Amino acid sequence: MVHDLLESFIVMSVFFISLIIRGDKDEHAVLCNEDETYDLKIADTSNLLLFVPGCKTPDQLPDISASPQLVHAQIWGFSNCYWELRRQRPRLKKLKKLLMENPYDGPAVGMQEEAPGPKYTMDDLLERIQASREEIEAHLQNVHACEIDGFWRILDFDYEMKLLGHVTQLVDSESWSFSKVPLSVCLEELGSLEPKSMIEHCLNCYGRRYSNEDGQVIYALDEDKVCRATAQLLLQNAVKFNLSEFQEVWQQSVPEGMSARLDQLRGLALLDRSSKPETISLLRIEDLPEDTLERFNSLFSLREKWTQDDIEPYIQDLCGEKQTTGALLTKHARSSVQNGVKVYNSRRPIAT
Amino acid sequence: MVQIVISSKAGEGPAEWLLVELQGEMVSRQNTGLAGNLMGDLHYTKEGVPVLVVGHHILYGKQVKLEKPFDEEENMETNQENPTSYTVSALIKKKLIFKTRPKPIITNVPKKV
Repeated sequence: MVHDLLESFIVMSVFFISLIIRGDKDEHAVLCNEDETYDLKIADTSNLLLFVPGCKTPDQLPDISASPQLVHAQIWGFSNCYWELRRQRPRLKKLKKLLMENPYDGPAVGMQEEAPGPKYTMDDLLERIQASREEIEAHLQNVHACEIDGFWRILDFDYEMKLLGHVTQLVDSESWSFSKVPLSVCLEELGSLEPKSMIEHCLNCYGRRYSNEDGQVIYALDEDKVCRATAQLLLQNAVKFNLSEFQEVWQQSVPEGMSARLDQLRGLALLDRSSKPETISLLRIEDLPEDTLERFNSLFSLREKWTQDDIEPYIQDLCGEKQTTGALLTKHARSSVQNGVKVYNSRRPIAT
Repeated sequence: MVQIVISSKAGEGPAEWLLVELQGEMVSRQNTGLAGNLMGDLHYTKEGVPVLVVGHHILYGKQVKLEKPFDEEENMETNQENPTSYTVSALIKKKLIFKTRPKPIITNVPKKV
């Protein structure tokens, strides 16, 4: 489709900095500026569009003078079609997929070189992902990726948890407040166990960085992020858990002083309150399809009927500009009332 | 994957062009093609209403500010090293749209006897 671009074409523009069109031969082209991604669609009009350079409109002409003026204006060209831009959410699932081809699980042991595997620089990623640079950078942060030797790497989850464990154990042994974790001490104490850059990366992922009055770099650990990661570590080991048993183990596994709450697990785990006993299982939004229709099909094949509260975290990212999850549900699902509660099911038959 | 860069010419901003939108098709008499020919005359009334005279038809239109401006882009040479790039040659912020039915201009109306 990218090859169909005309020699000179018209784009409806909303902004005016450097723009880039990206797409593989078999992908639909998207247009990106620094921080947004737009779908490019060709629009046909039955009207004739003429371009007249420098042609003035009444407001641009001087006041009526005594004699009428004749100005020659040349039509530069004409067209029946133009490209329309529609803001869209960037297709970022591919980013994690690429990085997961070769996750980083720590420095090479002894004299060994790290095992060979595909590695991507930022330029490589810009070549392959249909999104703007800022959207890619934001997503890299979301998935806790870090730049190692110029390549962007995602951490193997167990390794990431190992790093977090070192940090939380140190916080515990030093009796620090979770909101006052000094960087320098962490690097000093843990630098012998893991690369300092990895310790700092872990703190950046799970805490908020700031400076105290003495100019020292301090981190405030994020309780929600720590508890959520701990939950994932527990949930990924089995298909389903007894909910109350899980809650007990989970609370015992998080650092003492932190509270594990179910609302921290939105978009990560699914509760089944209709089964006896109640259960919980891992369901990560990033494991679901990116395309809207496919996402809904996938969700409805996992569970026939959903309450809005349960399904919301799994469809939030599908909302277009100014679109609500309610509007999405109206469009893609059918509602009914079950036991006094409004539930949504698929509009089409789904094979379960 | 293809990456095509669109940028504005360094220094000056793009020129501002006018878009004229007509319903229907423009053809040349005797099918000689459109290039190089006079299309018609564009007038503005005292009130600023655009009036287009094409052949022996007259069309009344109006000036509309575009909600989303158009960029007119020119293709630049591709070479092997650099990806194709486009520069914005013009920006279009308003248009003259002629939606009314063209009225024939009759210069000789015989008086009713």
